[in-house]
Amino acid sequence: MGGSVSKIMGKIFGTKEMRILMLGLDAAGKTTILYKLKLTNQDVTTIPTVGFNVESVTYKNVKFNVWDVGGQDKIRPLWRHYYSGTQGLIFVVDSSDTARMEEARSELHKIINDREMKDALLLVFANKQDCPGHMSPEDVTQQLQLNKLKDKLWYVAPSVATEGTGIFEGLAWLSNNVKTQPAK
Amino acid sequence: MSILLPYQPADNTAHSLSATTSPSKTNDLPRLSPSPSILHRRSPSSSGNSARRRSLGNGSAALYPKSQRCKSQYPQDSSERHVEYILVASFHIDRGPIMEHQYPAAISGDESMLAELMLPDQTHVRSQDWTIFFLHKDTSTDENDDDSSTGKKKKKKSRAEGVGTGDSDSEDADGSAEEESDDEEEGGEGPPLMYVLNLVNTKQDNTVKRGAVVKAMAICTRHSFLHIYKPLLLLALEDYFKNPYPETLATLYNSLNAMDLSLLPKLSLLERLILQASNSKDIFIEKFEQMIRQRQIEAGEPFDDECPPSPKRAAPPRYTLPRDTHEFESKIVYNDIPIPVKVPTVIWPEIVGDFSLIKLIQIFSAPHSTSPQPFPIHSHLTTSGPFTHPIIILINAMLTQKRVIFLGHNRPSGEVAEAVLAACALASGGILRGFTRHAFPYTDLTKIDDLLRVPGFIAGVTNPTFANHPEWWDVLCDLPTGRIKISSHIEPAPVTEGLLYFQQQASLHHHHMSNANTDPSGDNIFMEEVQRSITNRYGENAIRAKWRAYITKFTRVAAAFEETVYGASNLYVIGPNEELSPESPSGLQADPLDPTTLRGHGYVWPDEGAKQRELLASVSRIEGWRTTRSYYSFIQDIAAMYYPSRPIQKPDLHHHHDRLRALRLPPAEAGAIYISFAHAVKDYAGICQLLTVTPENQAGLFYISMGLFHPHQPVREATVELLDRIAAHPAGRHFWAQLNRFAKLAFFRTKREKDGSPQSPALGMGPESFGPQSLVGVALGDGFRKS
Repeated sequence: MGGSVSKIMGKIFGTKEMRILMLGLDAAGKTTILYKLKLTNQDVTTIPTVGFNVESVTYKNVKFNVWDVGGQDKIRPLWRHYYSGTQGLIFVVDSSDTARMEEARSELHKIINDREMKDALLLVFANKQDCPGHMSPEDVTQQLQLNKLKDKLWYVAPSVATEGTGIFEGLAWLSNNVKTQPAK
Repeated sequence: MSILLPYQPADNTAHSLSATTSPSKTNDLPRLSPSPSILHRRSPSSSGNSARRRSLGNGSAALYPKSQRCKSQYPQDSSERHVEYILVASFHIDRGPIMEHQYPAAISGDESMLAELMLPDQTHVRSQDWTIFFLHKDTSTDENDDDSSTGKKKKKKSRAEGVGTGDSDSEDADGSAEEESDDEEEGGEGPPLMYVLNLVNTKQDNTVKRGAVVKAMAICTRHSFLHIYKPLLLLALEDYFKNPYPETLATLYNSLNAMDLSLLPKLSLLERLILQASNSKDIFIEKFEQMIRQRQIEAGEPFDDECPPSPKRAAPPRYTLPRDTHEFESKIVYNDIPIPVKVPTVIWPEIVGDFSLIKLIQIFSAPHSTSPQPFPIHSHLTTSGPFTHPIIILINAMLTQKRVIFLGHNRPSGEVAEAVLAACALASGGILRGFTRHAFPYTDLTKIDDLLRVPGFIAGVTNPTFANHPEWWDVLCDLPTGRIKISSHIEPAPVTEGLLYFQQQASLHHHHMSNANTDPSGDNIFMEEVQRSITNRYGENAIRAKWRAYITKFTRVAAAFEETVYGASNLYVIGPNEELSPESPSGLQADPLDPTTLRGHGYVWPDEGAKQRELLASVSRIEGWRTTRSYYSFIQDIAAMYYPSRPIQKPDLHHHHDRLRALRLPPAEAGAIYISFAHAVKDYAGICQLLTVTPENQAGLFYISMGLFHPHQPVREATVELLDRIAAHPAGRHFWAQLNRFAKLAFFRTKREKDGSPQSPALGMGPESFGPQSLVGVALGDGFRKS
């Protein structure tokens, strides 16, 4: 009953629902971003994700179902099982981890070249902008070779997940660009 | 006296009321003065009974089969270990799950796969989680025969050298010595499963990189009662956090394997069936006594029995009898801490761990009863239409070998594992097999490709992404919401010969069928009954017994179905003198000189219409079942185990007992059954077989005792003989004790008439109790005659 009312309200006010998949190398800050979204203004300490986390966050009339999947290289092959039905990919990189930027690029291109991800929006968080020696969002764009991408809507947002900086800006970009209802 | 002492047979024989005093506490009838037991002792065989209890081993009682040695389920000299491996895995922050230590040797096989199973999804959000998973690990060499897909999946390369080769040897030795085959666990399905009980702990620790340590310890065993090891695993994992060395694993390994279960007697299949169905806490206590006595003789200790009871009080006995023969109490000493454990006496196939059927049924019944949702129709599953009870959907899915997933998002993985184990027990009833072997109590995305190679599986997961992949499953059971979903991708049920046959029949009798009731399969009534029992707190065992009866009925209905459609059934071995044709009238005596040649077999319906309705309602799922693994292994089991375990091949005791129960038979036909039973059921094993069809929860010996009210004296006397034998039987005496007093009075009256002995009425049956009861007895008898 309550559910159906809110569904109707959703139709009137245009609430969209969006399935978001958040990936990235291990220790990039995925889980911290997720819980900063979920629990605004709280300190978040995380431990390595065994498997996945999933949370719903409503922001600017869009309900984001965000899946955060563990990033250790051994479990990366599992990422593909989360692709189907995903409308937006959040790829998180540790901007200070220059040594693994190439690894991150390779993983990212593997994901977005998958058939099931061809319609998904791509948001890159250039995370850990507070760490010494970090790369700028432009450098990250360069390193990830995003300019090579054809037919893809993408955006790089600088962020400091632990402080919550930049995260909602990224989300706003997603909600502004999500197509009206290919939601399934 | 029995309060002070652990049960002592010696004390018992010192008293005159041996046979019925202390053992039959479960008899809730008010005791009828001393008379029944005194009378009881008068019967020659029952005094034999007490003689046996006094001096065991010299074969005093004809009804007691085992003057031979009573064997142990877990002999002391067995090379089979309780626990085969201890494993420790941890979540490495760079590499993911890794195996840290294995003891006594590497288990071989895919180590990283094992480590992944040991560290379930979302371990990082809870401090502790239990899981169970199974390994298809070989005891010997080859495994890629019939179920190669499963073999491959779990343990492609897991062949440990030398491990477990011993158990096939000991199995052989036991099997040949025992009168019945005891290796049904093996039953053509390859080596027994290796069960893994796993505990994972997450400890926040600011001194380490990324703030937490996640470690898991697992016990690998071939015992299905692996839950008894839980307290040990808790202690040992805690120790391992402090001492992360192989020595910690070794200590656990050694203390687990030092557990002594050698006094747990081995029971035959019929005995196990009786024990399972009985609520008496001391049924088959004789076997436990015998085990102890054998041990004492071996050790050169004097018999307890020869000692007067008084000195016993001073020195507590070294061996104590179980307080409840359904379980065996032992202990495991770990780091000098003795931890008591209870091992079930009876092990059934497919019953693994400590799940709760009640919990499973309640989870999926509650939302259905408050706001039922229609299911899409699938003839194998929705056997009572779109509002079929979800539990029936589940059981149909398992019987017809669908892909079933239990999903528990944000639930501990132990919870989904428990649901999977409960579902296996539900569908098996301890009778059908092939479910646990294709069950994955806990699995995750890493194993999805292997999982999808298994035709028909049952898996537990916590990752909600499974719900987004309806192509991976046929039926999804969501634990948090208690809803069951049928996949949009499910394959439609094929049209089969049996289906067409019944469609024809149905169109012929359409008007007849249409006014039939709305619950032709009886499933709605059954589920209501189950739920009522749960509400009335009947307990887990009662519910399991109901499901066992449900599955038994399903197999019998399926046998009748096969006879109807195909003219013969794989599910029933036709006894001697029996005719195959389903039209052969039950109750005809094939050989006029031999009362045991009573014809008829299988399930009993009150009339032909009821039979047709029920078969029609079940045709789809029976046809669906007839191509599954559990069907084929059941056929094997019938041939190899169930049929040979029955000493009485004629008449069909179950069938004729059902006729007594379900039909209003004319006196002549009922009489023929009683006479036939009295002729057929004579020895120890024969009585066991009869007792398996008269379980306590289905009125016990009541329908047998009705023979005492039969109009013909020979029938009454035959019934007295039969009951006399049952009362003197070690298990039968419990059934006798639970018989109502009217039946008992009728028994003594008939016995008196038969023996012509004049003194009996003096024995305690005072006029005040005798009068009204015998009147009722007469009334019952009259009713019986009329019907």
